[in-house]
Amino acid sequence: METLGIYVPRLVTKRQGFTPGHRACSGCAEALAVKLVMKALGRNVIVAMSTGCMEIISSQLPYTSWEVPWIHTLFENSAIVASGIEAGMKALNRKGTSLPKAKVVAMGGDGATFDIGLGAISGAFERGHDFLYVCLDNEAYMNTGIQRSSATPFGASTTTQPAGKVSMGQSTWKKNMPAIAVAHDIPYVATACPSYPFDLMDKVKKATAIEGPTYIHILSVCPTGWRIPTDMSIRLGRLAVETGVFPLYEMENGKYTLNYDPPQLRPVTDYLKPQGRFRHLTPKMTDKIQQRVSAEYARLKEKAQ
Amino acid sequence: MVELTIDNQRVKVKEGTTILEAADKLNISIPTLCHHENLTPLGSCRLCTVEVIVDGTSKLTTACTFPVEQGIKVRTTSRKALEARRLAAELLLAKCPTSVKVRNLAKEIGVDKPRIKVREEDCILCDLCVRTCREIVGRQAIKFINRGLNQSVEPHVDLSPDMCIGCGSCAYVCPTGAIKMEDKGDTRVIHGPKWEIEFKLKKCKVCGNYWAPEEQLEYITKSLDLPPGFFDVCPNCR
Repeated sequence: METLGIYVPRLVTKRQGFTPGHRACSGCAEALAVKLVMKALGRNVIVAMSTGCMEIISSQLPYTSWEVPWIHTLFENSAIVASGIEAGMKALNRKGTSLPKAKVVAMGGDGATFDIGLGAISGAFERGHDFLYVCLDNEAYMNTGIQRSSATPFGASTTTQPAGKVSMGQSTWKKNMPAIAVAHDIPYVATACPSYPFDLMDKVKKATAIEGPTYIHILSVCPTGWRIPTDMSIRLGRLAVETGVFPLYEMENGKYTLNYDPPQLRPVTDYLKPQGRFRHLTPKMTDKIQQRVSAEYARLKEKAQ
Repeated sequence: MVELTIDNQRVKVKEGTTILEAADKLNISIPTLCHHENLTPLGSCRLCTVEVIVDGTSKLTTACTFPVEQGIKVRTTSRKALEARRLAAELLLAKCPTSVKVRNLAKEIGVDKPRIKVREEDCILCDLCVRTCREIVGRQAIKFINRGLNQSVEPHVDLSPDMCIGCGSCAYVCPTGAIKMEDKGDTRVIHGPKWEIEFKLKKCKVCGNYWAPEEQLEYITKSLDLPPGFFDVCPNCR
């Protein structure tokens, strides 16, 4: 889908569910991701969103960026609220109230998905509610000042695990959240990145067409937290995919597909070098990261065959 | 500004907007298939049929092509309009029963099974691909051939497939999957209902990935007056 060239973007809808004028940092790929998700979802949608960057920047009283029904929830319970909306609509339909068909979507950052709301998401997946969960992963608690989360990759310097004489940044590996979603035996799980916009919109459309819980994991580059120039955010998203750090794949009813599979992966240093949060890494540590990335990519490729 | 009534709701819109856009403003949904907001409306699928009452006389028309007039009354769910819509959906379903989009639309309108003989074709002649090629890409590589029952979408006869630059916009916009695009190694194949065109993809000088058809890059180089060799390197390596 990504080789479609320069003409197809002119066919994408101009109608926005998430309007510009919000207060995201310049170069924010997460705001772009939400914009693309909303373009793919259309208008008949109800969004429940956890606390996080996107909630803060889009809904400062008395303004809002949302053109659709939108509920701000606490950090942990966007999945719970989404299940409630879905169950409520079902009940009203059963009682004979005619409601327009609407898709329920829950959104949360990596903190809300990986750490704080994991139990709630697990419960909603297990109960089998018909909703889409979108995780906007910028790999730390960026909104409150770059604290580490369990989505922070190995070696990244954050304000709670800064690199220096004693510590070398994050000491643990990133949690494999898509695999956790797959383990719930839900019909659709996918990873996407706003640097590949058609792939992202395609996956969102696919997920909304499927009945039952679906999960989309979106890597959203954060120039502020990753310590990169603001014009590099799209580039870094592409590098993350090309180096195999964040492979684009989808799982449909147990069947894996790799959406972007280059003949040869780039070395991870291409991805790590431009980022200030990895500036302190020694060659030994980059080797360790390279080994891990190659091994995980090989494992994924095996599954996709 | 023009004021009109849609389903007993008053709405004020700019002159020249269509009924479909005015209804959208009121959040009234009308089913469409051949309509695309970035292309000129055509009204070939007839799924957006509505009843319009002008000066007391009622008529059926397509919402996507009808520009609003002062004081008209529009009924989107009247018996007459729904019946016309159902017939259109039934005919489309008989023509293309395998398409998921057509099936879903027909189900929404209330048709499960067509009463007439099923033809099992892919193309529903919605004209989206032809309009995209003409308006978005600026070429006319495909167009309608013949009329009536034998009408089909084919490459321009006089100009050979050279007119096509292999951008894949037609495959992207096709609602039924009648036009498909496939990239395999160094070739891109675009399958149409009755045709197939192959393109050679250009190799990036740095990373060695194949990234775009040569014809497309030549066309862009020529139309934008770029220096030769501008596209030797793919956007990722530039």
